[in-house]
Amino acid sequence: MLALKGNRTTPTALALALLCGLSGTPDVRAGDTSGTIRVGDMQFGNALDLRGWTPMLQPADPDGVSYLHAGMRRTPTGALYPYPPLADAGKPLGQGDWTYAGLIELGYLHVGGDRNAEYFRQYADWKSGAVLGLFALNFDNRKTGSYVELRGSRLSGDDQYYRLRAGRYGSYRLEGFYRDMPHTVSTRAYPIWNGVGGTDLTLPAPLVAGASTPAQVAAVSAAAPRRSLGLTRTRAGLGYEGVLYRDWIGSAAITNEKRSGTRLWGGSMFFNFPFPDDGGILETVRPIDFRTTDINLSVRNVGKLWRFLATYNGSFFRNHKDHLNFESPFALYNVAGTPQMADIKDGQFSLEPDNDYHNLRLDLTRELKWNGQFSVAGAWGTMRQNDALLPPTTCTGVGGIYIAPPADYTFQCANWNTTAALSQKSANARIDTGLFDARVTFRPTPAFGWHAGLRWYREDNKTRYLAYNPLTGQYGYISENGSQGSVVPGETGIFDPTNPLYWSRNVTVRNVPFGYTDTVLELGADWQPGRKSSLGVTYTYDHNRPKYRERKRVDEQRIKFDWVSRDVIGATVRLSWEYAKRTGDRYNYDPYVPFFSRSLPGFVDPANGLPAHTVADMRKYDLSDRTESKARAIITYPWGESATLSATFYGNRDQYDALIGRQHTRTTGATVQWDWQPTPATTVNAYLGAETSRLGISNVNDADGPDNGAVFGTPEQVNPNLGGPLYPFANQWWELDRERNRNGGFSLSHDFGRVRADLRYDYTGSLGHVGYSYATIGALATRDPASVAAAAAGFPDNKYRTNTLDLGLSFTVSRSVGVRLFGRYQSGAFSDWHYAGLDNTLSYDHRLYTDKGGQLHYNVSLVGVMLNLKL
Amino acid sequence: MTCRTSLLWMCLLGAGLASGAAAQQAAEDAGAATKPAAMLDLRRQPAVSGDAQAGAGKAAVCAACHGAHGVAVAPNFPNLAGQSATYLYVQLKSFKGGQRSDAVMSGQAAALSDADMRDLASYYAAQAAKLPGRADVASRGAQLYHAGDPARGIPPCQGCHGPDGMGPRPHPSSAPQPPWASFPRLRGQSGQYLAHELHDFRSGMRAATSNAKVMQGVAATLDEADVQALSAYLDAL
Repeated sequence: MLALKGNRTTPTALALALLCGLSGTPDVRAGDTSGTIRVGDMQFGNALDLRGWTPMLQPADPDGVSYLHAGMRRTPTGALYPYPPLADAGKPLGQGDWTYAGLIELGYLHVGGDRNAEYFRQYADWKSGAVLGLFALNFDNRKTGSYVELRGSRLSGDDQYYRLRAGRYGSYRLEGFYRDMPHTVSTRAYPIWNGVGGTDLTLPAPLVAGASTPAQVAAVSAAAPRRSLGLTRTRAGLGYEGVLYRDWIGSAAITNEKRSGTRLWGGSMFFNFPFPDDGGILETVRPIDFRTTDINLSVRNVGKLWRFLATYNGSFFRNHKDHLNFESPFALYNVAGTPQMADIKDGQFSLEPDNDYHNLRLDLTRELKWNGQFSVAGAWGTMRQNDALLPPTTCTGVGGIYIAPPADYTFQCANWNTTAALSQKSANARIDTGLFDARVTFRPTPAFGWHAGLRWYREDNKTRYLAYNPLTGQYGYISENGSQGSVVPGETGIFDPTNPLYWSRNVTVRNVPFGYTDTVLELGADWQPGRKSSLGVTYTYDHNRPKYRERKRVDEQRIKFDWVSRDVIGATVRLSWEYAKRTGDRYNYDPYVPFFSRSLPGFVDPANGLPAHTVADMRKYDLSDRTESKARAIITYPWGESATLSATFYGNRDQYDALIGRQHTRTTGATVQWDWQPTPATTVNAYLGAETSRLGISNVNDADGPDNGAVFGTPEQVNPNLGGPLYPFANQWWELDRERNRNGGFSLSHDFGRVRADLRYDYTGSLGHVGYSYATIGALATRDPASVAAAAAGFPDNKYRTNTLDLGLSFTVSRSVGVRLFGRYQSGAFSDWHYAGLDNTLSYDHRLYTDKGGQLHYNVSLVGVMLNLKL
Repeated sequence: MTCRTSLLWMCLLGAGLASGAAAQQAAEDAGAATKPAAMLDLRRQPAVSGDAQAGAGKAAVCAACHGAHGVAVAPNFPNLAGQSATYLYVQLKSFKGGQRSDAVMSGQAAALSDADMRDLASYYAAQAAKLPGRADVASRGAQLYHAGDPARGIPPCQGCHGPDGMGPRPHPSSAPQPPWASFPRLRGQSGQYLAHELHDFRSGMRAATSNAKVMQGVAATLDEADVQALSAYLDAL
């Protein structure tokens, strides 16, 4: 993407230039003062001015970057430096040493066409009306190095920022800021519920929870008004960094981010497949009401021999809406065909819990002989969650299915809908982390250096939870708020050692406290055989010991070579290649026995044995044996005095040793860019990028069911092997995903003197293809003729494409006044089979969707005029 | 697209067509105004040479102030003897081009040809410099000259003018180089003259060459005590 080009002369800079409202106004030296993460926020800007750095548009300084060196308009590797903006000495403030410079730009925007297109306004609150492009006011004291900097921009109430910085160079700095950032999730959402944005979604009349027909739901859905879903991030903070005493420097910062709004969410009332009218699949809307408070404290000392750094990071997440309850309009029908006794008509989600995070880190570094350095770091962290737990269900009355004595699969909701049904009242969850990192580097000669490092990291999950209901003596959790057990007999989600109906139910009863210990050893050396070339090699051994996973150890060895030359026919060439091989100990396809009810006393094996946990030949992609290779070439060619041609070629190949699971990934890409600055007044850029990636997966359908001529629960169900009766080769299938991305663009900027013109065009396109094949139709979930024919047809390709044309003209009216006219025209096309058919209806039997997805075609234009006044 | 949007687009495109003509007019207007002399860019300035003998013949009028052999008759005039020829040439060129201004020198330089300037520069560069004095190496001026004052942003003078004040001593390097030959030697210069020039750099009176821009930034970090300390040290160097 454009934003990844790290050069001010790149198209990104031009994008800024085009949309910024500054024109010919004699500058204000309001350039960003390169904030650190210790103090303040990382980035300020909005869609009108991506960098919050509009003054970069002030006329370029024809004197270039240095009064000392001619021809230094390139980096050491040949990339062009941009011409810097003309410096503004500012105006004197009173009789003292302070000066000030300021700029205000105000204007009007008009948005026309499909202004609500999702991809147009995803991260920008574009709307017609007055806008504050930028307010910047700087106060500088060149004598003392002190400064005060005020800055703000407002596109709308949900898209704005304000910042105050002050300090003295080499002494201290402080910052306070406030920012609102929009994030549009959907602009074509049609939720049917009342209470969107809250924790309780209720059905509007005439719909009745648990008693509405699909036709009634479809009618209400069709009449639901279109609305936008999204959230706003409101972020504010204060930070300080300064000299405490002699060489001791301290920093303190606090930031608070509030995220509020809505986003699309699920709402399962168990399956609506393969039998119609069974359960309910709903796309709901959940609230977002988060607050995250981060506190960072540090103290450091930089001496000639020793360097010391102590850091504390604290992060406190709070979710003010801990659940989502929703009414489901559909009645549930059980697959046994008996009269439905259950009255399950609501669903519930437990949303994210509050989380406290603390991390304390110490770093110590010492200079050594032979131009060496030794550094060691240690850190300890902990994450804790201790919210009050919600009851296992919200249902009332009876849930489950009654068939005939003794097949009574019903349960009393009263035994499960209070916190008395929990084994503990709060989460008491905790993960501790530890880190030790040591590194030594030496450069005994200018041409040779080496380094070695050892890193140890542990994540210790101390959370232990047993799902046990003291009211009933049963284990487990009411599945899907009771709906699953009300559709399929016995699938209530519980294990009961005293009840024959449930004593063979293998359900999850404990959390899996995943954790790991990782040790990494690194050795590396670099050598400069010539004045303009260098060769490096790095070997890494990564020893990982995961807990409660399919492998107890995973080892990866990696070697990387890189070569850099600054003089290959005048170009700088950087080549790198790396190869890695991952292996491990024996793969246990089912390490999760202790977390299921089968491990509890009283569990009775089914007559035909327990079904296999999964196919034994499956290898999870993060643990399977793997070989990986990566290659990259970056070429930067200074083309004459004022142009640079740069190109990057890269490829990654991963091969997984797995019969079932991920098979391979491949990525190949290239970018080419041309930058030309013939004069300080003219900048031209063009770029092209292309990338293709592939992902291969293999899986197998089980043969335990009527579709395979069997019944559920045959003796063969215990056989986990591929090629066995449960997982026959005939049921194997393969997926091959392909993705192709293309982008390109051109930009031109020229300063005529009193008029500056900017022109820019960008194209972005992507194509995604989900391909698959299967051994026989045994791989298909349903094998009726219609399904088989549909499977043979495959999925249509997913496509996404935008074209954007920007044009800007900036006029200098006087030394203190400028006017800028600018416009953008964007067209887009979008096609995704996940949303196919939703434009016609969002309701299918017991399935109800809310989002129609991105607009299939859109055209939108934006024009604006900005008045710039120098203060 | 709404009607209002279309109209705004038309205005924008119309303004674009008109802008070329407007820009031309603006450029002509700007050209008509009286402008100060363009900055003399010395960043690619090569070392110059000339005919010192011919220069001797052209130096008669110069001697009135700068002495017969380049040692000035009064401390308010610079000593030219032993100075870098390139530096001297660039100064004459600056006086002639208006980048540097002096009631006497601007007039004198106006009549000089490029060859005259090269010859005069070569002549004075070939003269024996003023004999060294006995500078106080422990003085504040010596400290500023050799080490600067990092806390106040003052760079050490020796970086460009040499550790002994006899001009820069660059190390061989393939990196882009400053125009070393155009940097003056300070040893043997009068303190009074140096203080005057530092004041001119600081006030912006002398700021129209790329080298002067560098010195302008340096002089801005000096207060009056620094200027006097440096001048005193160099006067005795």
